[in-house]
Amino acid sequence: MRSTQKFGETLKAGLWKRIPPFRLVLGLCPSLAVTQSAENGFGMGVALALVVTLSSGIISSLRNIIPSKVRIASYIVIIATLVSIVEILMKAFFFPLSEQLGIYIPLIVVNCIVLGRAEGFAAKNPPLISMIDGLSVGVGYTISLTLIGSIREIFGKGEWFGMQVMGQSYEPMTFLVLAPGAFVTIGILLGIQNLFSRWRGEKFVQG
Amino acid sequence: MNEITRMVVVLSLITGCCSAALTMANSQLAARIDSQTDLYVRGPALERLFKVPAEEVLPNKVTITIDGTDIPVFFTRDGDDVSTLAIEAIGKGGYGGDLKLMFGIDLKKSQQIGMEVVSHSETPGLGARIEEPAFRKQWQGMSIEPPVAITGDGGQIDGISGATSTSRAAASGTNEVLMLLNTYKEEILKSISEL
Repeated sequence: MRSTQKFGETLKAGLWKRIPPFRLVLGLCPSLAVTQSAENGFGMGVALALVVTLSSGIISSLRNIIPSKVRIASYIVIIATLVSIVEILMKAFFFPLSEQLGIYIPLIVVNCIVLGRAEGFAAKNPPLISMIDGLSVGVGYTISLTLIGSIREIFGKGEWFGMQVMGQSYEPMTFLVLAPGAFVTIGILLGIQNLFSRWRGEKFVQG
Repeated sequence: MNEITRMVVVLSLITGCCSAALTMANSQLAARIDSQTDLYVRGPALERLFKVPAEEVLPNKVTITIDGTDIPVFFTRDGDDVSTLAIEAIGKGGYGGDLKLMFGIDLKKSQQIGMEVVSHSETPGLGARIEEPAFRKQWQGMSIEPPVAITGDGGQIDGISGATSTSRAAASGTNEVLMLLNTYKEEILKSISEL
């Protein structure tokens, strides 16, 4: 009973308490760069969720074998391998999306979320719960990026996942699909989440 | 086991397993990635050149290797004979790097069908105008006798104003393809007939 509760809590934590990039303020660079559209945000989120889940699982199962002096090097090698495999898979099955995301897929290697979860959680916990943690953070990231992407795409282009949603007379706020729009969108969403947390009297949990 | 040896052994094992996994993924999916690249990168250029859907032309592909570089050649048939070829070439010396171009060649009429840009990284508004039909249509019906050059160099191609290096790169790509065609035409036709 205790363990199911723990699993449930870990699963939920990534979706609100430490949802990246709002609570766990890591991985901001791709969140700003690839979220011009909901589809890009979703693709990036899924790629990261896959990498972080698998890397947490592998690192956690090797946590007693890897000597602590070379742990970061080992983590990076494992993460880099997973990212390359995800990149190859994307090129083979979702070519247009991989062209859109471009350099940000290989850059998942240095995404602090992945290394942060490896070092902060997977290195100290057994494999199953580490994978659940990775999955929940990954799903949280996917939700956030899709949300940011949707807001920017709907108001900046009048479309959602490539479908026209705003009427013909709608004048798109082009600045939202440009780089400054990403900062503004993330800032507003972060503000709303903070306001809501304060209203509910939640403690701020970082990490 | 002492600590240093342990570190070396563990790291080597991890990197070894990782390389094995990567090699496997790459060898399993390389063919699929190639066909996807053809469909999305070269497909649009081929469609405009041959005026048929990309899916029809893409299987008609041979690769010839010259000096260690693989050059993809696509073709269409008219009955049993090979009627047109599309040869990819690198236009060296563009302002933002080399251009990847595709040249269509009509073997029956011995003239060029057109020139298409597969990918480039030229300046928008200047070199990027290489994509405009106004510039590219000069290749329609051009002879297949090299050399060609831009008017500034005494040739017949009107360059894009403000983008001389881009225009020169296009001309150099053309020359490369025409030389290649003159030298290796038999070889290309032979490898097509062997398909």
